[in-house]
Amino acid sequence: MFKQFITTLDGNEIYMLGSLFIFFAFFIIATIALIRMKKKHTDYMSSLPFETENRDIN
Amino acid sequence: MQPDKFYYDNKIVRDFAIATIIWGIIGMTVGLLIATQLFNPALNLGNQYTSFGRIRPLHTNAVIFAFVGNAIFMGVYYSLQRLLKARMFSDALSKIHFWGWQLIIISAVITLPLGLTTSHEYAELEWPIDIAITIIWVVFGVNMFGTIFKRREKHLYVAIWFYIATFVTIAVLHIVNSFELPISAFKSYYLFAGVQDALVQWWYGHNAVAFFLTTPYLGMMYYFLPKMANRPIYSYRLSILHFWALIFIYIWAGPHHLLYTSLPGWAQSLGVAFSIMLIAPSWGGMINGLLTLRGAWDKVRDDVTLKFMVVALTAYGMATFEGPLLSLKSVNAIAHFTDWIVAHVHVGALGWNGFLTFGVMYWLIPRIYKTELYSKKLASIHFWIGTLGILFYAIPLYWAGFTQGLMWKQFTAEGLLKYPNFLETVLRILPMYVMRSIGGTLYLVGVILMAYNLFKTMKAGKLVSNEAAEALPLVKSENEPKEFWHRKIERKPITMLLLSLVVILIGGMIEMIPTFFISSNVPTIASVKPYSPLELHGRDLYIREGCVNCHSQTIRPFRSETERYGEYSKAGEFVYDHPFLWGSKRTGPDLQREGGKYSNAWHYNHLMDPRSMSPGSIMPAYDWLIDQKLDTTTTASKIKAMQTLGVPYPEGYANIANKDVDKQAKAIAANLMIDKIKVGNDKEIIAIIAYLQRLGTDIKNKH
Repeated sequence: MFKQFITTLDGNEIYMLGSLFIFFAFFIIATIALIRMKKKHTDYMSSLPFETENRDIN
Repeated sequence: MQPDKFYYDNKIVRDFAIATIIWGIIGMTVGLLIATQLFNPALNLGNQYTSFGRIRPLHTNAVIFAFVGNAIFMGVYYSLQRLLKARMFSDALSKIHFWGWQLIIISAVITLPLGLTTSHEYAELEWPIDIAITIIWVVFGVNMFGTIFKRREKHLYVAIWFYIATFVTIAVLHIVNSFELPISAFKSYYLFAGVQDALVQWWYGHNAVAFFLTTPYLGMMYYFLPKMANRPIYSYRLSILHFWALIFIYIWAGPHHLLYTSLPGWAQSLGVAFSIMLIAPSWGGMINGLLTLRGAWDKVRDDVTLKFMVVALTAYGMATFEGPLLSLKSVNAIAHFTDWIVAHVHVGALGWNGFLTFGVMYWLIPRIYKTELYSKKLASIHFWIGTLGILFYAIPLYWAGFTQGLMWKQFTAEGLLKYPNFLETVLRILPMYVMRSIGGTLYLVGVILMAYNLFKTMKAGKLVSNEAAEALPLVKSENEPKEFWHRKIERKPITMLLLSLVVILIGGMIEMIPTFFISSNVPTIASVKPYSPLELHGRDLYIREGCVNCHSQTIRPFRSETERYGEYSKAGEFVYDHPFLWGSKRTGPDLQREGGKYSNAWHYNHLMDPRSMSPGSIMPAYDWLIDQKLDTTTTASKIKAMQTLGVPYPEGYANIANKDVDKQAKAIAANLMIDKIKVGNDKEIIAIIAYLQRLGTDIKNKH
């Protein structure tokens, strides 16, 4: 199946490679950013749907 | 500091909930009717206003924009107020939004059966209604952002990002896919033609699924599921990743609806690549939802709302896994144009949208009425009958899709099509159509049980129209400490809006701009000429009757298709097609090379009674075309409009075009006389025969 797919690309490889690059770049940057995020903040954000009083977290 | 006292508006939530139920029942009933028409043509009810081609768009519009649309507004108006600790910005805007939206739906219910349609799938409504939609959508946006600006909670929860992305993207999609040139109060032509029109339509079509059926529902999932399970979302980090990845990647995937067509290959490749990537964010969302229930699965056993949510998320996972698979060219070659696609969208619509809506309503109605659900048992019955309905709907159609897709491609040892008669492949799957309508009936019965249950609940309680709440007002702190960049965005709604806009524009622009401006992408063909005025009228009748709902006009470059239909489609053949009419489903055969295949008399008899020419055919009869007079008063304005759009009719042709209408019509009527068919040359059927006989002949070898 993949062989057939690759042989029918004829000259359009750049689009496949480009999209692959965008895909990895996006997720690598996002992963780094998310790992650096503080737990205190994520806990606060995920508690927003619950009826809680305003809290100052700064 | 003293907390503010304020009230949540529950009345508007209740109103949208009632509209959701009523339109849901209506939309699904129309769906059931068209499902039965597919195995019993008599159920087209013998008149033009209820024939399949005209009311299939009514079904899709009703369930998407009326049922799901009202459910979105119900969910947004409930959760937004609570997440922002503020009443909706303006009660007046809420009311205008509600009644405006219902009026738009009613206008669809009136215009679609009348045959007033643009033919773009899920965007069939004509230009005046398009304008009304735009205005009401802006009202919704102002009301939402007004509420966001007066909020008492500094940070915007992830659900609200999804609502913002929904608002901005639907606005962009709707406006771009409504570039129409009006020629009368309810008729317009799309600015783009052929390949470009197809790209715009499926960029819209696919992202209507993404940003109307998916993102607002994900927003609702992120709010209501934690509330129901009484535990926070599994991973807030994952939700951030989910949000940005989903809106960025989704927008590129539209061209997977046009694989193997004459759309430039590079655009098809991009569509495929991004469709496959979509598995990542989609499943990220599903996993985030399901894992929210970790350690709370015992609740799922007792709590019917959670049961609905679990099936909704599972259906979402299945549909979003299947979608990328379907966009692989080798799978698409079999699945496209078959009932496989219909099954696929219904797993999403019935499972994801339907069940999530039901879950939210069972949870929300008792709360705003300060009472208990009338009958938990009835809700449980609804759950099971609905689940069975989905299975009975989807499985037969998957079967039908595989069967027919493979039959179309089957060759004999001698190298001939094994099933050269298209009808044979239809008759084989009729039992599946019967089964599907049973599944649909089960699902609808479930919805009616829910309506009764919720009505009883409303009767037992009393609506808390204005629910008291209190929260501390927001204070502007002067010195914000250094913080993570994304956290800043979470406080800035306009930045969020603009960022979402940028993210969704990238994909659309990269795919569309080269297709529009690089001429090598649509090579022209010298022998392709504009339609004659009579053919143009015939084409508009083809659009009015919704023929495109069952007949494609694009032949893919497979031997199985060129053997059956003729030469495969070239981009240059469609340059005068405002709008394109490629279609997305072959309930009947492709018609791109229909011209010259049969005699005029054959078409006459076939339109009058399809079963007289093709015994067993499921096509409805179009006998009114024989009685109705063709409206030639619009000829001049149609030609002028086409000239404005760049179709090269000679200058001044608009004023003399009716002479050519007359000439061509007389020739066809005279030809029909040879076969002893007496019909006035001013009848609509003459025009549609003229159009059908023209199809695909421009590049055909003339014998």
